[in-house]
Amino acid sequence: MADQRNQIATFAPLDQGDLLISTENVTSTVWLNNTPTLTSYFTSSVQVNSATGQFYYSIYFEEEATGSVQFAIAYCDADGSGSLLYNPNVDGLSPTRTNYGQYRNLILGDEESSFVFGNQSASYFYALPVERSGYKEELLPGAMTLALSGSDETLRLTDDSKLGGAAVFSEAGRIFNLVSGSAGAVYTDINSNGWTANSGSYGWFMPDIGTILLSGPALSGSFADGGIDLSVSRASNTQVNNPEKLYTVLNDGGSGAGSPDGWTLNSNEQLSSDFIFVRARSQNFNYSTNPSFISGSDGSVLYDTFINDPQVYITSIGLYNNNQELVAVAKLSRPLLKDFTKELLVRIKLDF
Amino acid sequence: MGYLNNQVVTVDAILTTKGRELLAKGDGSFNITSFALSDDEIDYTLYNPNNPSGSAFYGEAIQNMPLLEAFPDETQMMKYKLVTLPRDTAKMPVVTAGVTVIKMKQTSTFTVTPQTLNYLGNKSTTETSGYVFTVSDVRQFAQNNGVLGQGLGTDAERNLNAASSQTNGTNVSRTVIGTSCVLTATGVNTLYGQAGNSASILYSVITIIGRDSGARVQVPIQITKT
Repeated sequence: MADQRNQIATFAPLDQGDLLISTENVTSTVWLNNTPTLTSYFTSSVQVNSATGQFYYSIYFEEEATGSVQFAIAYCDADGSGSLLYNPNVDGLSPTRTNYGQYRNLILGDEESSFVFGNQSASYFYALPVERSGYKEELLPGAMTLALSGSDETLRLTDDSKLGGAAVFSEAGRIFNLVSGSAGAVYTDINSNGWTANSGSYGWFMPDIGTILLSGPALSGSFADGGIDLSVSRASNTQVNNPEKLYTVLNDGGSGAGSPDGWTLNSNEQLSSDFIFVRARSQNFNYSTNPSFISGSDGSVLYDTFINDPQVYITSIGLYNNNQELVAVAKLSRPLLKDFTKELLVRIKLDF
Repeated sequence: MGYLNNQVVTVDAILTTKGRELLAKGDGSFNITSFALSDDEIDYTLYNPNNPSGSAFYGEAIQNMPLLEAFPDETQMMKYKLVTLPRDTAKMPVVTAGVTVIKMKQTSTFTVTPQTLNYLGNKSTTETSGYVFTVSDVRQFAQNNGVLGQGLGTDAERNLNAASSQTNGTNVSRTVIGTSCVLTATGVNTLYGQAGNSASILYSVITIIGRDSGARVQVPIQITKT
């Protein structure tokens, strides 16, 4: 790279003041096609009847189930109830027990700990992991409404992040209680915390792993107690398809009787950006190596007027590393005129 | 590929393929330290200093043209750089390679020593910062030092030439710097007769760019089977 004494250069150095790193929060919808609320849920009979159907149901955006999975429903039971045993001679080990152990390890870490939703422990629950491509980095607390309908009554759930209490941290990051309410607003008709009357909270909202746990006891309670009479079966060594039961109340909450709301869920992503400020001073970058700027093989400029008053048009800005390798490029939407009377200042934003 | 909306002035920025490769390495080699400007796509013969409407309209055929989106291929961008030169420059720097076609035989060597016309008032000389040499298909040259930049003797030259030996498996071009470039043709026969090559001649091209002037020249290379 030539210095100023040479009075010839094609590269200009950037100093520290020209580079700025910034992060911003970008929120968006979770569901396919930027749909804010999911009101219809579909399963795939192929998936449900496959080996994976013993562990979870994949929930699709469209009826055709063409691969656009939005989330899954997994029933988890500490006793292994609700599904067939792997081996009838080994009591308690079944897919629902595997699910339970998986989430206990992921969230609690300790095999001696149990899930306590609100102030009540629960040995069975539903896990709803959201498809990662939808939530990108994390779920957005305080924006969710999940409607479940049973017996012509609709239960709306949200998280309690807007109540102002500090988040509880687990092995899986932040935990917020699922409470009665919508879009972060808590309904306190049954309990001042928005919980059920006798079964604690409705579960956990875990934004950092994109998963929601729904307490089995809470949903099984009567509507007067804050539940929806979900008849979760805990029969041993029996395939009872508990995910199907939650799927039904989800569907009714989206498009069934009552006042369905579906499932509104947003994501949050921290976007890191490099801002680069490119300054072309009046004395710099006024001639071009473009072949059409030159007339003939001896390098004469195209027009005599270009000798004293060259006019060049900027279309691209190249960003280089120490090895003069082109690592990023910015293209202007229209050519910008540059001559000895003009300076250029362009802000370039690179997102990572 | 598409056009950018030129009703408003915007900047469309992307990482190049090389930039993504360096970012993935995570060794700090991505760090942006300098910039350059170019006028790719501009045809200056459209500039009309005889426009009867006056000087404000000399560049009307250029100023309103729609521009294409950026290409991620770093070899297809920033071809024609804008250059800082003293006012009243009548002749632009022009790089010459001394040959119009580089003809080699298998395992033979050829040294390219470019010169720049009109550089810092000289009729023909070597640029102070040397040249960037890029061969389009490194497979046509010997595995060890088949494309070697030399002559500057600087740390930058050693660093760049060392880094250039690292390829990502799909990028077949190779770039080195120096005041001259020594090419050694491959002795392997497998490329002859493949797409783009005849049964007896391999075809490629070397691009030479002045590191100070930004002037560039491309020279075809032919390697004959022996």
